[in-house]
Amino acid sequence: MSRQLDNDNPTIFAPTASTSTKRIQKGKASLWSEEALLEEEEEEEYYPELGSGSGSKEDREDIDSEEVYDLLRSITDPEHPVSLEALRVVNPDDIHVAGNRVLVYLTPTIPHCSMSTLIGLSLRVRLLRALPTRYRVDIRIKSGTHQSEHAVNKQLNDKERVQAALENKHLLGVVEGCLQTADKRGKA
Amino acid sequence: MDVPRIVRTHISTAELNPPQELIDGVSNGQVGLLEIVKALGEYLTAAEEEVRLKGLTFLSNTLSVVSVSKINRQATQTLTNFYLSKLDDFDSLPPALDGLTILSKLPTFDDEAAIEVYKGLVENVNMKAYIQATRHKVYVLFDSLLALHRSALRSMGTSFLNSYTKMVDGEKDPRNLMLLFSIDRVILLEFEVKDHIEDFFDITFCYFPITFRPPPNDPYGITAEDLKLALRGCMASSPYFARMAIPLFLEKFATLTGPSMKDLQLSIAACLPVYGAESVRERAGELWEGIKTEILYSSDTSIEAAALCALEALIRTLYPPDQSPGGIAQDIIKECLEILNEPEKTQALAATKILAAIFRSSSSAGKFAISQALPQLFRQFNSPSLPSHRAPILSTISSLLLAIQSVYSSSESHRTQQDEQSLEPYHQGILDVLREGLRTEGLKAPAIQGCTACVQIPGFWAKEDVENVVRGLDDILVNDEDPEIRPEVIKALTTISTHHPTIIESLTLPLLFHNLPDTAPGGEEHIAREKYRSILISLKELCVQTALFQTLVIRITTKLDLLSSPTDKDIDMDGESQFDRRECTIAYCWDLLHALQGVIDMKIKQKHGDLVRYFDQLVPRLMTLVISSTSNEGVFGDRRLIGLIAKIVESLVWELPSERQSKWFAATYDAFEKGEWRGVVLDKSITSSGSPLRVGASSSEKDLIALYSGCVQALKLDITLPFSSSAEFLSSKIHWAIHVAGEQWQVKWASDLICAFVNKREGDLKESLETILDSIWTKEIQDTSADLEVRQRGLSVYLFIVKALSLLRQPLAYSSLERVIDILSLSNLDTEFVGFAANALGILAQGKGVGHLTAKLLFAQKLWNFVLPKLIEGDKEANGTGRLVYLVAFASLLPLIPASLCLADLNTILPLILRSLSLPDPQQRSNAIRTLTSILETATDSKEVDKAIHTHAETMVESLLKSAIKQPKVPTSAKVRSSALSCLSMFPDIIRFEILHKYKSIVIKELGKTLDDPLRNVRKEAVECRSKWYRYGNAV
Repeated sequence: MSRQLDNDNPTIFAPTASTSTKRIQKGKASLWSEEALLEEEEEEEYYPELGSGSGSKEDREDIDSEEVYDLLRSITDPEHPVSLEALRVVNPDDIHVAGNRVLVYLTPTIPHCSMSTLIGLSLRVRLLRALPTRYRVDIRIKSGTHQSEHAVNKQLNDKERVQAALENKHLLGVVEGCLQTADKRGKA
Repeated sequence: MDVPRIVRTHISTAELNPPQELIDGVSNGQVGLLEIVKALGEYLTAAEEEVRLKGLTFLSNTLSVVSVSKINRQATQTLTNFYLSKLDDFDSLPPALDGLTILSKLPTFDDEAAIEVYKGLVENVNMKAYIQATRHKVYVLFDSLLALHRSALRSMGTSFLNSYTKMVDGEKDPRNLMLLFSIDRVILLEFEVKDHIEDFFDITFCYFPITFRPPPNDPYGITAEDLKLALRGCMASSPYFARMAIPLFLEKFATLTGPSMKDLQLSIAACLPVYGAESVRERAGELWEGIKTEILYSSDTSIEAAALCALEALIRTLYPPDQSPGGIAQDIIKECLEILNEPEKTQALAATKILAAIFRSSSSAGKFAISQALPQLFRQFNSPSLPSHRAPILSTISSLLLAIQSVYSSSESHRTQQDEQSLEPYHQGILDVLREGLRTEGLKAPAIQGCTACVQIPGFWAKEDVENVVRGLDDILVNDEDPEIRPEVIKALTTISTHHPTIIESLTLPLLFHNLPDTAPGGEEHIAREKYRSILISLKELCVQTALFQTLVIRITTKLDLLSSPTDKDIDMDGESQFDRRECTIAYCWDLLHALQGVIDMKIKQKHGDLVRYFDQLVPRLMTLVISSTSNEGVFGDRRLIGLIAKIVESLVWELPSERQSKWFAATYDAFEKGEWRGVVLDKSITSSGSPLRVGASSSEKDLIALYSGCVQALKLDITLPFSSSAEFLSSKIHWAIHVAGEQWQVKWASDLICAFVNKREGDLKESLETILDSIWTKEIQDTSADLEVRQRGLSVYLFIVKALSLLRQPLAYSSLERVIDILSLSNLDTEFVGFAANALGILAQGKGVGHLTAKLLFAQKLWNFVLPKLIEGDKEANGTGRLVYLVAFASLLPLIPASLCLADLNTILPLILRSLSLPDPQQRSNAIRTLTSILETATDSKEVDKAIHTHAETMVESLLKSAIKQPKVPTSAKVRSSALSCLSMFPDIIRFEILHKYKSIVIKELGKTLDDPLRNVRKEAVECRSKWYRYGNAV
């Protein structure tokens, strides 16, 4: 080990309940199981339609807090080969989506964690890359969980500072490292 | 033969391989070896180095090709001596070594010669002076001597060992080292090396740890891993190393990192068992410290795994079965239990792994570990210091049980619960915590794991214990809504059902069926619907087993019977809500039938023989349900249900032996052609108003065609038909499909019937087929004044017949198809119909499908090779919008061909695919993208593909982006968008960065739009694709 870790024995939690708590389906989607709908679709595909094709019937599925959580849960902690989900640094209940705004509270494992800014930066980069531009993202330390909460919050939500941090090649490399696993989305 | 002349010419022209003539001469005894040596004489002793070298090389080359039997003892001796005399000649050494290596392998080469050669080498050859290739020759010769004259060398004793270690000292080339390590190992294992062990230590451990990195494009293909394994083999070949090696290992713990640390741990794992308990015990504590650090703190899981291997070796070495578990094992276990006092921390996971490793590696220490760990864990579980600790504690218990199970249930370990009884004292304790876990929120997952493990430990749990936990598992299955837990429970129950099927049958199944509602949940009762669906999923997994299938059949058919008769509740309702009610019931029936179908498919896949037995129980019953619904508008008149039942019928009929199939088909034939239902239904009171296929039958009667079609599709090739003229039968079905059938759905099933019949009975139909096809073409298709829909139906039936024939590679298929391709050129005159025709070629692209059609090898290739040139030609001749039709036809056919076929003429196909990416119809675009994806997948195998895709990379990226983004007024589908995105995400892995670097920022920007796609699944693809592109070109 090259460097003393901030927290060499953090608490690990079981993965949070589910990849997706059932978003209650409405209309036809609820009555018919997914396989049935799929089969119907396939049939349409195989037999050339007489007359005009069917119109598109896509209902919009809005981005919700669960989807945002899904984007963040599998990011790796900078100190351990463990996901932020397992360390409960991000929690589904601490993510709020309203209109075009996303608010994420992160919980450091210990109050003096020097990695908080780095984790926050990783979250920000991930959302910058994975959410449509119309969203405004706020990332905050969960109140009362960090010694220098205010300073970290300021740093994480200052556009220029975030930009400057991302121009630092080394820092970006570390962030990219944490994001490597992000697309697992809770799957092993 | 003039040997001197031949030799002279060869040496003087520097052609140093002996001519065939000479080799033959030696083989048939005309020329003696001695003669050649004599002829070479002047060269072999020449004063100029160059000439000497040529002579010697010629001799060695000759030896290497002549037959072994031609070299007699005397010749061997003479030649050996001759070569030995050349060893001190710097330039002559390589050919001399070659010659000696050949000689050393001869049966006439004796032990004395071997010793002499060896001595000659060590006395005369100064290794440091020679290049790698020459040194390699020396080692090859050593290797050969050691392989064939090992005992002679061994008898040399000290003088051999001393000289050998000096000789090979300082070698650095990996190719030579690979050889040396294998020689070293042999010597270490078989020679008396005890007194020379320091020398051997110096020539082996000096290479540890190996940091070699092969140069790029290394032609020799030696990897660091090869060297590590070979060296490890040497290090672990003599117990005498222990004295020096263990201190070296301990020293290395402090300095090594990364792959070298992994190497160290694996080397320790390999060496300790060889070094023996005696020498390991002294330093065991220090070894444990070094191993521990990597298990507890390493951030690399592969190093952790290596360290666990090392730990297992340590324990296995120190604690053979009869050794009492005192000393270090005690300390380690104590340390682990200390760590487990904080069970929620990362280190607790590591401590669990350590305990499991101890169990695996020694029966005595393992039993002791269990006796220490379980009581403490039970205590912690029952009175945890924090409530949240219970989950990790139970996880630890389950992980240990899993480790125990892996040892006791494997036949290789030779350890069983019966012999060791290590779990016996904790029988009740384990059962208590697991049952408690099954009942408690948050503890279920580890409890389920623990139960699964215990059930599989032979001789541990009695039947009552299993029943006990099955009850707990059933409870979760029925009451828990957590979608993560349920699959775990099903997995556990399925495992249990292979060991104790009766328990599942008597406990789980009744409970599950009891929880399936008798009437369908209403439109708004989402939760109830989710619940029965999850129960059906469980049943689908469990009931595949023969013992449980019967219950499933009985219960499901009973449920369906109940659902088929409208209840009082339904009748009370007024118009609109009754329709909803009906829809709910249909959906419920669909799910029930789908579960049944799933189990049947699984049984077919696993080749269960018992399906045939259920034929009479299932098929007539399902037929009754559908047929009785035609008259009373019952739920089973719904097309979705009829379609599903038709598929089930098809699967079951296919399983019947031919003879029974003939009978069944005859009965079906009577039913559909004459309205005689009695032979195919269970309820004989069903009356009919005549054949459902007659002109004037109601639409719901016509829907029954699906059942007919299902039966025909399942027919085997050798059955007896109930009618004499296949052609007549076929013509009547064709007529029905084109003129009598009401809606597209009926046409579809009729077309499948026609296709299957032609495909199966092509032999009977032979002569008439051409006439039939002709008459469809002239009567139904060509007449432009006829109703468009009739013409379209005619064409699709026509193409279904062509498809049936093309699967058999019948020539008629291709000549008939030509007409269809010809009319593509008429797109200006008959626009709508030709557009339809281009699309309809997709019928051919379905290939064999999942059904029971007969297909000959390479049918797709033949069809494709016939169609493609015609389409390309047509495309060239047409202009303007006329070309579009050909492109549509091309794209519709794409699913037919495997990627390998595209690769053959990629240069023609790729541009067409790229053009197809801009077609308006999303279905055709997604065909094109699918083909493109499979081409890209094979890109790494072939240089040509690689080149082609690199040339077109930019265009591909642009078109794919267009398909990926949802734009107003452009027809699109979720499928085309997500397949475009997943195709696009392959580029960063396949296309070299310099080709696309200027596109990176554009792609990332454009992909930003796809993040806002209305569908969640598409967004997911978009996020993945975009993060790949972000990483594109970044150094790894």
